[in-house]
Amino acid sequence: MNPGTPAVALDARLRELDTGDGPFAPALVAKLDREEAFPDAACQALESFGLGAHYVPTRHGGRLAHYPELVALWRTVARRDLTAAIGHGKTFLGGACTWVGGSPEQAVALGQDVARGARVSWGLTERHHGSDLLAGELSATRTVDGRWRLNGEKWLINNATRGELISVLARTDANGGPRGFSVFLVDKRQLPPSAFRCLPKERTHGIRGADISGIAFTDADVPDTALVGKAGGGIELVLKALQLTRTVAVAMSLGAADQALRLTVDFAKEHQLYERRLVDLPRARRPLGEAATQLLLAEAVSTVASRALHALTPEASLTSALTKAFVPTVINEMISQLADLMGARSFLSDVYAHGLFQKVERDHRIIAIFDGSTLVNRNAVINQFPVLVRAFRQERRDADGLATATTLGAPLPEADLSRLGLVSTAGCSVVQGLPAAVLRLQSLVEQGALPKAVADLAHALKRATDAVHQRMAAQPPSPRDVPPEAFHLAEHYEACFAGAACVHLWLNHVERAPEGSLWRDALWLEACLVRVLSRLTPEAPPGDPGVFDRLADVVVDTAGVFSLLADARTEGAS
Amino acid sequence: MTTPQVDPTSVEALEERLGDPWDDANPVGFSQVLAADERGELLDAGEQLLDAYGLGSEFVPTSEGGRMTHLPRLISLMRAVFRRDPSLGLGYGASSLIASVNVWTAGSAAQRHAVADLLLRKRKLACGYYELAHGNDLARVEFEALPSGDGLLLNGTKQVISNIRRADAVVLFARTQAGAGSRNHSQVLVDLTRAPADRVTHLPRFRTTGMRGVPLGGVTFQDCPVPSDAVLGAPGQGLETALKSFQVTRVALPGMFLGIVDTGLRTTIQASKARTVYGRAVTDLPQTRSVLADTFADLLLCDAFTTVAARGVHLLPREASLTTAAVKFLVPRVLMDAMGRLSTVLGARFYLRDGDTAVFQKLLRDLQPVGFGHLARVAGQMTLLPQLPLLARRGWAQPRPAPAALFRLDAPLPPLPFDKLAVSGGGQDGLAGSLLEGLESLGDGARTQPLRDRLEAFARELEVLRRESAALAPRELIVTASPAAYELTTRAITLMAASACLNVWRQQSSDPFLGDPAWLLAALHRLDVWRGRAQGPLPEAVRTRLFTELHARHEDARAFDLTRMPLSGWRPSPAPLS
Amino acid sequence: MPSLPSAEALSSWLSSRIATYVQRRPEDIRADVPLADYGLDSVYALTLAGDLEDHLGLSLDPTLMWDHPTIAGLTQALLQVLASAA
Repeated sequence: MNPGTPAVALDARLRELDTGDGPFAPALVAKLDREEAFPDAACQALESFGLGAHYVPTRHGGRLAHYPELVALWRTVARRDLTAAIGHGKTFLGGACTWVGGSPEQAVALGQDVARGARVSWGLTERHHGSDLLAGELSATRTVDGRWRLNGEKWLINNATRGELISVLARTDANGGPRGFSVFLVDKRQLPPSAFRCLPKERTHGIRGADISGIAFTDADVPDTALVGKAGGGIELVLKALQLTRTVAVAMSLGAADQALRLTVDFAKEHQLYERRLVDLPRARRPLGEAATQLLLAEAVSTVASRALHALTPEASLTSALTKAFVPTVINEMISQLADLMGARSFLSDVYAHGLFQKVERDHRIIAIFDGSTLVNRNAVINQFPVLVRAFRQERRDADGLATATTLGAPLPEADLSRLGLVSTAGCSVVQGLPAAVLRLQSLVEQGALPKAVADLAHALKRATDAVHQRMAAQPPSPRDVPPEAFHLAEHYEACFAGAACVHLWLNHVERAPEGSLWRDALWLEACLVRVLSRLTPEAPPGDPGVFDRLADVVVDTAGVFSLLADARTEGAS
Repeated sequence: MTTPQVDPTSVEALEERLGDPWDDANPVGFSQVLAADERGELLDAGEQLLDAYGLGSEFVPTSEGGRMTHLPRLISLMRAVFRRDPSLGLGYGASSLIASVNVWTAGSAAQRHAVADLLLRKRKLACGYYELAHGNDLARVEFEALPSGDGLLLNGTKQVISNIRRADAVVLFARTQAGAGSRNHSQVLVDLTRAPADRVTHLPRFRTTGMRGVPLGGVTFQDCPVPSDAVLGAPGQGLETALKSFQVTRVALPGMFLGIVDTGLRTTIQASKARTVYGRAVTDLPQTRSVLADTFADLLLCDAFTTVAARGVHLLPREASLTTAAVKFLVPRVLMDAMGRLSTVLGARFYLRDGDTAVFQKLLRDLQPVGFGHLARVAGQMTLLPQLPLLARRGWAQPRPAPAALFRLDAPLPPLPFDKLAVSGGGQDGLAGSLLEGLESLGDGARTQPLRDRLEAFARELEVLRRESAALAPRELIVTASPAAYELTTRAITLMAASACLNVWRQQSSDPFLGDPAWLLAALHRLDVWRGRAQGPLPEAVRTRLFTELHARHEDARAFDLTRMPLSGWRPSPAPLS
Repeated sequence: MPSLPSAEALSSWLSSRIATYVQRRPEDIRADVPLADYGLDSVYALTLAGDLEDHLGLSLDPTLMWDHPTIAGLTQALLQVLASAA
């Protein structure tokens, strides 16, 4: 994070609001969760800050210039309260179809509405069909006067009740199929009360204050201008919009991870056991270091993926799926690892830090589910195995785009959303660029700029990535009965992607190697590679697990947010 | 199915009483269980049911007039309760059990009689060990019971105690002498019905994220007099009594909590059968089947290990400090990971507190104390750590197999030998001996080749473990040990669990399922997944075999553990959602 | 049956063993100071019991050190056990 960015300003603002009786004060956050009450004051504060304008791309009059900035903003909110972050952030998701496929007039109008505080929700899922979009039953039919008439129900929709607008995926051809659906931006304020009914708020496991509800339309007529994109183009539009939302949604995981790590480190510093501080026991340091490594991996992946929306836009179908599958999963693991250290305090609601640890543990589990579950995202990657295998063998890559995506200081071009594709014919440059990057690392060893042990790990990653591609090549295509082996391969491919993202990030900053202790001797890179390799080659993982202890030393000494980005102060765009 | 002469104290009879969980009209069905959880109360109808069944007498050894015959039975009974409502299991009884084992181990005849009488009268016994500031560090416990006149004076606060407000008595872990040695603490049995009211202050209830119905309190005593014969055993013996008696509960509790994942798995199968996606039932997706088979294998692994360790308390009490600590370290993690994995099958449904899967999120929350409650997982490792060098010099150098009865599920067990429990295992590890014996007995042949390969690798690991444990520096044996030393305990635990599975398989060779190597291979794979040495789905033939068995058990309403017992009240397949 | 060790021999064996455990020089270990003061945790005692068993060739209650927490006290207790075993 660079000084002067919106996220820094937001953080400064929230610091004033997260103490005393401010809307983000831990005691209030805990109380609202207990009472299952929506965090109104918190969302109001975010609105006053002008967060809504950051959900609107600059070309439509808003302040969303760079997606990494949106990630940073959400992370800043999420580390204080996931309920508020999700409750407020939904509006970006609701608008995404319009940013991708709407007409300039639609986009500008929606942008103005959002900037004024309108809430937009996104109605994709239905009661009996879950993630199976093609099974959706809510219908929109043409009326004689050229309008569209909506009938049916969307369920488990964040802000369906509180939102003024909702983007709805509707069946426009009774026979369905990939061209049988369309997206409508429905303005509830323009509908007569008889045309829709909001469904009751569902009681949920976490984010208990959130408005997870639904909406049922009965002969709800909307004007033709509510149609977003082409009639029949809804599935394609949604799949592209999801590439944006899945990429940035992992900011919620990063914020949750920040909070869980901070709570645990603070506890471990104050808790005395066996006449020592818990944090000084080696058996506590190791999992702290491992947990921090998970956070760094998640951060590296989401950084590269959100920059890739600008720099490698045609690959976003892959990078978004990989990111949404990888990040929430590792952060779930991280939180459960930290819970082990927290012991009873991970369970008691009043004893430590207002019970926020148990709240974030429950809250975060939604991230791996909503906006495309881990399984759905892995399926999307599996479908692209053949092209990934070919492109990797040819070491095909968009070298410039890759450099921009993995260099924090590189200026980002505007994200050209018309270049989003349903599949990535170019494969995944981040992974395909790994062999060349490993060669560059090798030359740095010869110059004495990188410990040989770390380069050896990168070589091991390269070998493991080769092996993963060989297994992918041998995996027969199975569009219907996807075998568990394919899901496991997708998981491994995610690990390759994460490892490769780290290698590129490190390489592109080594020349003006930041002085921070995370960067010295490539400490963070070593930790991330050891971790990734423990997943790729569990039988005989290479590397020194002691690296986690060394990383833990940094974690324990870090005041504030533990982050790769904070340490990597570079000029230019975020 | 009505059998005319069902033993009214049997597990089957308890299941019968609990009835159909999916029936909204059942006062102990899931809808009532969930409603009580939302209210933060114990299910009253459930408590009455267990009173009528006489669950309290199951915590009292037969020698004291109760029905506690052996641990596998106790686990099986409590598992039935945990399958239904973990809060009820913990709140009705497990906490009384934890407190009472101290009395059975160290109490005088009069104390044992008093506690037996209390439990037989269906009253509660609370267990006051915990001090928030010290966690599992018992040696630093501050609560005092110091001599004064001809009695003791209680001073201090205990937190997070189940049932303390309604208990007739409490076992308190207290400092009976100043200083840093190991003879300064004792258990004090305090009759709360007689304690002067002005010396006892109850703390507000502790709220929790799971087990919300369990009334957790705390208590402060101020100059509260108790007679000197309130001490259990000889004064100063407290640490020893805790280390011995908690071997019983340290294995029993994970065994009970296993019932949570049984229901979690059942709920997931049921919902997945009822739900279609991409034009087919979710249970027909290969990935779903793989996850369900993994979880079934996890349950078998956990139950094999828990059952063997529980039988070991009876048959090899000297070694119980090792095996029960090992169970405590392994089983909770496997169970928690299994529930997390099942949630991925349920998708968004798992997140809802209403509907046909509503019980799942409650189970997920209720499961959590299995890890940190009643001595944390790491305490299990710390029990093993100082024993490694001796194991290396003795049991692992000259391995001696455990008796076959340890692994034979139907072999009779002697009464619980509370008097033979020991703070340390004396360097013996019968499971290691049985691992090697089992390997030798395999013989040659293609059919057993994959198994033999796997077991030979374990045997090599045992040798490495012996070598590295023998070379451990003394500073590596205590709480400040390096992660590498802790890793040795993980390896020792792995080998014990592998031996338990292998030998349960060997000794049940005539059982059509337990005698099939498929589940053993699956359990050993899951064991390696647990310790991070393996990943990925089970081989196709293995997972198909497991899923077939699992599905059949689901349709027949049978337990997913080693017992395969019928769950008479559980309607096999409720009508799918309309 | 080997002859009984002397109190001096036993005491000095214990000092050197304990010195290894707590990473000090044997001459810094005093016979009349509770072992806990050297940071010898209760679990160490269990390990030390195993060492003693192997050294003396007899079986010991591992909590012996909890009851006799100094080298001097432990030496006397061990001599008694040895005498009654002989």
